[in-house]
This record gives sequence, C-alpha cells and structure tokens, in this order.
Amino acid sequence: MIPVRSMVLVSSDPLSMSRGAQAVYERFRQEVVRRGLSSEVAVHTISEVGRHQVAPLVIVYPEAAIYGPVSPEDVPRLVDEHLVAGRTVPALQAPRQALSGSTAWLNTRKGTLPAEQRIVLQRVGIVDPGSIDDYLQHEGYRALRQALTGMTPAEVAETVYKAGLQGRGGAGFPAGLKWRFVASARGEKKYVVCNADESEPGTFKDRVIMEGDPHSVLEGILIAAYAVGAREGYIYVRGEYPLAQQRLKTAIRQARARGYLGQNILGTDFSCDLQVHSGAGAYICGEETALLESLEGRRGEPRARPPYPTTSGLWGLPTLVNNVETLANVPAILRHGWEWYRQFGTPSSPGTKVYTILGNVNRTGAIEVPLGITLREVIAIYGGGMKDGKRFKLAQTGGSSGSIVPASLQDTPMDFDSYRKAGVSLGSGALLICNEETCVIDLGRVLLHFFRRESCGKCTPCRVGTARAWRLLTRLSRGQGTLADLDELRYIAEAMERLSNCGLGVSAAVPLTGILEHYRAEVEAHARLKVCPAGVCSMTSPG
Amino acid sequence: MPHLTIDGLPIEVPSGTTVLRAAEMHGIAIPKLCDFEHLKPYGGCRLCVVAVEGARTLQTSCTLPVSEGMVVHTDTPQVHEARRMVLAMLFSERNHFCMYCQVSGADCDLQNAALDEDMTHWPMQPAWNAYPVDASHPYFVLDNNRCILCRRCVRACSDLVGNHTLGIQARGAEALLVADAGALLGESSCIRCGTCVQVCPTGALMERFSTYRGLLPQTEGVRSICVGCSVGCGVILRTRDNHLLRIESDWEAPVNRGLLCEDGRFKPLHQQQGERLRAPLVRRGGRQHTAAWEEALRLLAEKLSAAGERLAALISTRQPTESLAAFTHLFRDTLHARVVTSIEEGYATHPALEAALASGQRASLDDLRQADCIFVLGADLYHNHQVAGFLVRRSLPHAAQLILCGAPDTPLSAQAALDLPAGEEDADTLRRLSAENGSPALRQAARMLTAARRAVFVIGRGFAARGSAESIQALLEAAKRFDARLLPLYGKANSRAAVNYRLQAPFKPQGALAACLFLGDDQPHPRLLARLESVPFVVVQASHASELTARADVVLPATTWMEQSGHYINLEGRLQKAQAALQPPPGILSVQETLQRLASLLPAG
Repeated sequence: MIPVRSMVLVSSDPLSMSRGAQAVYERFRQEVVRRGLSSEVAVHTISEVGRHQVAPLVIVYPEAAIYGPVSPEDVPRLVDEHLVAGRTVPALQAPRQALSGSTAWLNTRKGTLPAEQRIVLQRVGIVDPGSIDDYLQHEGYRALRQALTGMTPAEVAETVYKAGLQGRGGAGFPAGLKWRFVASARGEKKYVVCNADESEPGTFKDRVIMEGDPHSVLEGILIAAYAVGAREGYIYVRGEYPLAQQRLKTAIRQARARGYLGQNILGTDFSCDLQVHSGAGAYICGEETALLESLEGRRGEPRARPPYPTTSGLWGLPTLVNNVETLANVPAILRHGWEWYRQFGTPSSPGTKVYTILGNVNRTGAIEVPLGITLREVIAIYGGGMKDGKRFKLAQTGGSSGSIVPASLQDTPMDFDSYRKAGVSLGSGALLICNEETCVIDLGRVLLHFFRRESCGKCTPCRVGTARAWRLLTRLSRGQGTLADLDELRYIAEAMERLSNCGLGVSAAVPLTGILEHYRAEVEAHARLKVCPAGVCSMTSPG
Repeated sequence: MPHLTIDGLPIEVPSGTTVLRAAEMHGIAIPKLCDFEHLKPYGGCRLCVVAVEGARTLQTSCTLPVSEGMVVHTDTPQVHEARRMVLAMLFSERNHFCMYCQVSGADCDLQNAALDEDMTHWPMQPAWNAYPVDASHPYFVLDNNRCILCRRCVRACSDLVGNHTLGIQARGAEALLVADAGALLGESSCIRCGTCVQVCPTGALMERFSTYRGLLPQTEGVRSICVGCSVGCGVILRTRDNHLLRIESDWEAPVNRGLLCEDGRFKPLHQQQGERLRAPLVRRGGRQHTAAWEEALRLLAEKLSAAGERLAALISTRQPTESLAAFTHLFRDTLHARVVTSIEEGYATHPALEAALASGQRASLDDLRQADCIFVLGADLYHNHQVAGFLVRRSLPHAAQLILCGAPDTPLSAQAALDLPAGEEDADTLRRLSAENGSPALRQAARMLTAARRAVFVIGRGFAARGSAESIQALLEAAKRFDARLLPLYGKANSRAAVNYRLQAPFKPQGALAACLFLGDDQPHPRLLARLESVPFVVVQASHASELTARADVVLPATTWMEQSGHYINLEGRLQKAQAALQPPPGILSVQETLQRLASLLPAG
C-alpha cells in the first residue's frame, strides 16, 4: 500500500448504496483528482459501519471523523475543509447517539466507548472488500499459506479443536470435532459448504462479514477444506443478500487469479474450488440438511438424521457445513495459535461472538465481544442503555429460533454453556431487547406467525403446531382466549419440542414455553381477565 | 451383524437395517404412517418414535439405523403419549371425520393407529380448512381433506415410477398435495399407473371402481401375473363374491416389485368390452344360433378333417404356455395345418438375435434397474412396456443416462441425454456408433457408452423382428464393443413362449384355405381380417363378442385370463404362473380344455 496522508472510506452496504453511496464515492474520487491530491489521499469503499439513519457514511482517517448522511453535493465542502484545510466539518458529522455499536470501536480511539474485541470483524470497515491487495496488506491468506506449507491437515483440525471454536450458527457444536468427523469419514469425494443463508430475523452478522471482508470467509473455507480433505466447496448465500453474493464472487475471481483458489493452491498439491449458490428465500434452507437438499436442486426440507452430513451430506458424500462466522474465525486461530484464541471468552466457550443488537435500546448494530459478557453489559455499554429510560423486560436471542431471556437472566454470562445450563440458548447472535411495553402474547404471535410461514411442512408437529399455536395466540390477543387454550399451547409446545424433525419445530416451541413459564400472570390476564397488561393487544375482535 | 434389544428381546439384524424394520422382522409392531416398506425412509409423520437408551430425545424408528448394543423401548408411557400427540395433531389438521370415508373400519392406517392407542378423542380443537375434491381423473379421486401429507404418493410417483407428477405446494400448514404445479389430476402429466393410490394410507386417494365395494378383510387376494405385455408383472387380483374389485401390484414379485402401469391396473377393469359369450354359437342359414358344446365341437372336428392341410390356425400370445403347447401339438403335429402361428404373426424377434441372446447376452430387468447407461433402439418405453420404462426413468438423471435412438417423440425424449434420429439404415447407424465415426451426437453416445460400467441396450420389437440380418449383426457387434447387455422387448405376455414354439411364421398361406381358426381374445390385424373374406369356414374362441366373432361360423366361449391358471414366460425368460382368481360362468371352457376335447373327437393320427 502506498502510504497516504488521509484515507476516505465510503460505506457501501445495501442501504448506503440505495441512498447514493456510489455517487458519493465517485464524487470523492473526482474531487481528489481535480485538486491534485491523488498521491496523498486514498478513497475506498468499505462495508457496513453505521446506523441506518446516517447512511451513507464517510469516515476520514487519521482523524476517524464520521460524516453522515453524506450526499454527493456535500463532497466538495468536505474535501475543501477536511482534506485541504485540515478542519473537521461538525455540521456534517453524524450525531453520536446515532452511531451504532459497530462503530463503537472507532469511538474507542477517542476514548468514548469501551473496546470491542474484534477477531472476525477485524478488517471490516478497514479494508476495501473489493480488493484482494488490501486483504493481503492486512495479513490476508497468510494463515492459508501457513496451513498448506507448514501443517498437516490433521494438525490444522487439531488446532481448531484445541482452540475450542464452537459453531456460530446457533447450536455451538465444537467445530474441531466436526472437522475431525469429516476428515475421518470415508467417501470418494468430500465437500465443504459454508452456510451463509443467515435468515434469522434480526441477524445480520454474516452479512457484515461477507460484505466487509469476503476474503476472510474464503480463507476460512479453504483452510477447512484442506483440513477435512475436500476439493470442492459451496457458499450458500441468502437470496436477499445480492451485495454479499457479488462481493464473494469478486473475491473468488480475484483469489483464483492470484492462485489462492483452484489448482495447486500456492504451488502446493492442494486444489480446491468454490462456488456461490444463491438461496431463494426459504428460512428453512438455513437448516444444514435442508440447505443440502436445496443445493442438490430439491425442495428445501430437512433430512432425517442420522446419517449426519459429516458422513452423508451433499450427494451422499461426507460434507462439512459451517457457518460464515465460524469459518471467519479460523484464519486468526491459525495465525496466532489456539492458546491465543483461548484467552478470549470463557473456558467452555472461547473466543468472541458477533451480536446484532436491536430493539428498545439507544444504539443498535453489530458488535463483536468476547463470549461470556452479560446481557446487562451489552445493553448498558454497547446498546447505550434502554431507550427513554424504560425498564428492560426480556431479550429474544438468536432471531426467532433462540430463547426468551427474562430480566432475571440478564447477569448470566452469554456463552453457549452457561446459557444452556440456564435453559435458554444464545442462537445466532441476534439480541432483540424488549422493554416493559412489550406484550409477551403479542411477541409470541409475531414469532409464531414467522414460524408458521416458514415451517417446511414435512413433519407433523411443526406443520400443525406452528399454525395452531399462532391461531391460539391471535385469539388470546383479541380477548377471545380461554384457559383451555393455554393448556393446548403447552401441549403443542411439548409436541413440537419432543417430536419435531429439525431445529425449526423445536425452536418454535421455545418462545411458547418461555412465555408460559416466565410470564404466566401476564398470559393468564389475557385469557382470564381479557386484559393486556402491557396495553399492546387490541383485545377486540375485528368485525 | 449388530445386536440390539427391542422391548427386552435380544435380536440380531443386518447392519443398515432400520429399528422399525428390525422390530417388524421380529414381530414387534410399531405404528407408522409415512413409512412404507418399499419407499425410502422419510421421517415426516413422527408416529413411529421409540425410546432409545442414551438418546436425549425420542427417535423415529423408520429412519434410525440399528447399531451395536442399542437398547430400544417401543412400549413406554412416554412413547404412547408421543404417538397420541402425533395422532391428535393429524386428526385436528384436516377433516378426519371418519363416518363417510370409504377406508373407515379396516383400511385406514390413521384410524387403525388411533384405535391401537385406545384414543376416543383428541385434546386439540379441530382447525381445518376445506379443500375442493379433485375428481377429474378417470380412475381415482383426490380428496385433500383426508390427506395427512405423508408424501408416500409423492415419493412413489418420483422414486418408484420416475414420473414426478405429484408434489407438495407451499410450506407449513399450507402444504398441499398437488399434481404438476397445481393442475387438475385428470389434466396433469399423470400416466395413470395408480401406484399413488395403492400406497395412500388414508382415504385421500380413492380408486373409483372399488370404492365402497368392500374393505380389505372382506375381500380375497390371489397372486397372479398381468398379461398386458411381456414384462409379466406380478399382481394381486382383489375379489369379492367372484367379482374383481381391483388389481394391486405385488410388492413381492421379483419382476416388478410393486410397480404396475395403467394397462395392468386399470384397463382390465375399465375397458369397454362386448357382451360376454356364454355358450357356443353355430351359423345356420346365415345366422348364429346357440348350440351345445358337443354339437359345436363335432361340427368343428368334421370341418377340420375335411379341410386337411388347407387350414390356418392362429392363437393369441396372451394364452398361457399350456394352451400354446396343446395348440402346436394339435395343429402342427397332428393336423399338419398349412399355417400354424400366433396372432402377432411372427412379430417378435429375429432368429439370429434369439440365438445370440441364448448365449448369455440377454439382460434381465435387474440389469435394467442397475444400468448406468441405457440405449433404447426403436422402442417407446413411455407408452409400451411401461414398467420397464419406469425402471429407466426413475434412475434419471443421476444414476443413469438415457440415449434414445429412433424412438418416437414422447415425454421421455425430454429426459434423455441424447435423442438420436432413426438413421436411414439401422445397420449403418450401429456400425458408426461402434466405430465412433458418426455424427457428433453419435460419437457422444459412443463416449457415454464407453464410460458406462453397466450399459443395457433395450431393443424395440420393430427392430428385433423386422431388422435385416445385417442390422442384427451390427447390433450384436455394438453390444460387444460397449460390453452391453441386450433386452429385447418382445410383444405380448407370452410372446417369448410363442417364440419357443416357433409360432412366429407370417400369415402368408399358399393356395386357398378351407378353414381358419382364431383362439384367444386378441384381435388380428385388419389386413388379416380382410383375407378372411375368402375363407369359407371361420372359427373363433373368445370370452367376449367382437367384430371377429360376428364374422365366425363357429364361436366358442372362452375363459378370461383371470378365470384360468397357466404359465407365462416374460421378456427376461422367467417362467411365471398366473393363478385363476375368478370362477368362470358355467359351461365355459379354456382354450386348452377346448383343444383337448377337440383332439379327442378327431380321428387318431
């Protein structure tokens, strides 16, 4: 990289793009050239950095000044004042309260917020996602070289195992163990599949990674492929993520041209190629076996297990399916060693986790923090406290398939193990923070509405249960419910939890159980008194 | 072989067996709905859950393979509760009020499972939508209100038959069984094989003909052989009070293993036929009069003796081997008739091909099942020999590749990797295929056949019977070049046996004929009918009145194939027995019995 005096970063996430980020970027380049600053000022696009109100966003280094929303007309003024005269332009700066958790690390440099611990997001917002050179400048593909030239596949898997990396898709299964299973499975061919179908509502951590640092995902997949003996891989990307798909495709093209992908990678015997496959909008295709069915061209329905994908996955061959975030952790683990990785997080859940914070807090967005910090800390520090000083009531974790975490658990460490012991689950990392004005019946109704639309319909409990539970909750929200409905809800939840074919049905039961268990009084008020204590439900039937 | 314990019973089963199958093999019944022995495990309905020691949750026994030391319980309170939960959900999902349903009382797997669990009600309020009934299909009716979405029919349609007509539309509670992309069944791509109806566990798919005419325990089933074509599928003839209710495919039959086509399952029930012949008819004064057997046969014996060798005798290739043998013996060996052949008139195979096949190049239907490349020469596997076609189609496109050569344009063409036009000259095309110097498509075909490990050539009747010696030679060389086995399709149910009895001469009599006989139900070619004008005495034995019987001077009533037992040889050369399932009406003889009685009336030698 040519050393420059100043660096201008223009956000280019989908929302920014839709609000004219491309024009802002181009205007910056024109203005810089026009003023003869091209050798001193670099202009790049970067990914997701800011909160929605202030997109598109422009960050100027080394001052780390954040401007937003910026229109192309603002650009000459910014260039004149900031880049030529060296003064920040307070009038165009983004208001601090509008900045999300994901820019917290920027503010840290100015001492305003506590630091995040960034491992998978370390380059997001710093590197140009469209440039392999930029990635290489930032230690990119060194872990891959290290693995291919200095380690056996077994040593790579062992390192990941010892690091204690757990699947970040939600289940928290030890990644190293899965790698070992695939490595030792017999098959004429093996596959690696990166699950990038991120379809949990409110979860967008994988998108941030793919859009902001696509090469890190490729590097993680390649290392995994080497470790398990796969020569072919797929990245199954959610259909609603066109930008992520485009960036991954660009990254694949670049990596192939530079010899990081394809035949004899880095001059070694190892060959592997990758393809991006677009999902088509079904939530269930994020379930790994439904994803494989979909990849094979069939209706996305989860398979029966066993056999597990590790022995019989894509086309019946051993397949490693890992989440984007899981794989993006891998290069850093190899670069710095498993002991280094274990210094973050808790002994049973090492490392960091990317959370997406949303709901009734002051600051929403993506943050990466060590596993084991508490919900109270997340809300107070990264969320900037509850909005309007309202009381925290509950958090819905992991999009729709996590748990209802009541206020009583807000001091439980957020790691896979502690949460499991407390009877809740962390899920994919979405944290929907709800205040006292949230009605649990209404929340449940919204969640079950989602599940009933997204259940694939293969197994009886989920197909019947989600639709029926939604209907009962709707009845309760209109003041037509009875106490018998609550028994039926519990019965449905039990059936779904015990008998469903895949995680969807089990997850759909979780909010039902959570509501009935932790908020019985509030639920009974709906059924018995026809009153919604939070004042949300209409309690009247339409028409 | 893994050892496991189910309900305290120590058992040993081959590895790869599912827990459900292992239990069934040892007499432990586990209720199930989506599972069907001849379909791949699915794990959708969740009724078959069992408790496995060490497992966190209940496991579906239909998908769970046995493992060493596994301890399974099928009879715990927890398991029974789970079954009732699944049943409660299914009953509340759609309109399962049993009283008007034709399968209620014995034939409904859902109802039976509930009765076995002592269920009298379910703890969920029914909450169902009403669906329109699809009665557009000629043979069966689809009532989605009774569907439990087990997908047995969908899986049968795609995995067994390879037709992919049935599917599930939408997701979740809106999931609905549909044909194609929501077409009416009667206007869909359905090929009317009826496999879906046979596997349906509830009353959602009901056959028009047998509905409400008897529950399974009230019927009798007789294992027999379909005489629709030379495949020779095993069937179960389901009867009640000497009436045929329906024809089911036989899952145990080695030939078809549960497959059956429209011709085998529905045509015999729905085909329009003339009036049943119940007594012999003799023409006197220009009109046919009812006669006693004795009288008709005496007249016949007299005429045959007078005709000497100016006699032509033709028999249907749907007649069992016993009839063919008696026929050949009487007309060829005893009466030395000028023409002794089958109604197909030599339309089976070429002697040179038959000779080569005898030396071991013949493919079996199992070879076709396992083939990875199938080269079809001049045959229409979509409309004829359909079950052989199913075996091909269900392997496409992943397990096998299909090359069509000179085949008519059917929906199968779209599934073929290559669809080669019929060459000017078969021999030339085949030689170019072997030499890999033909058109680009022909060279592509050669490459595919070279790469294949288990190639099969399916040879249509047109090619096998009418091909020149040269083209047969080219075919045999091509098969050798690509290490492929040969499967000629022949024609009707017993064409293969007719070949053995040399009943394949073309109908080309030298000189005038004094008498002509047609035995069996098949209608001869119109060209042949025209020739009868000049024959003074025509005899026909058939079960039903037809144009041909109207023309005859003596008509003898015959049993149908379901009323007589006998042996058949299918296209693979497999000898199979068809078993009588119905009593013939009084006073009706089979062709074989007729021939015996006729022989006894003729002067010896």
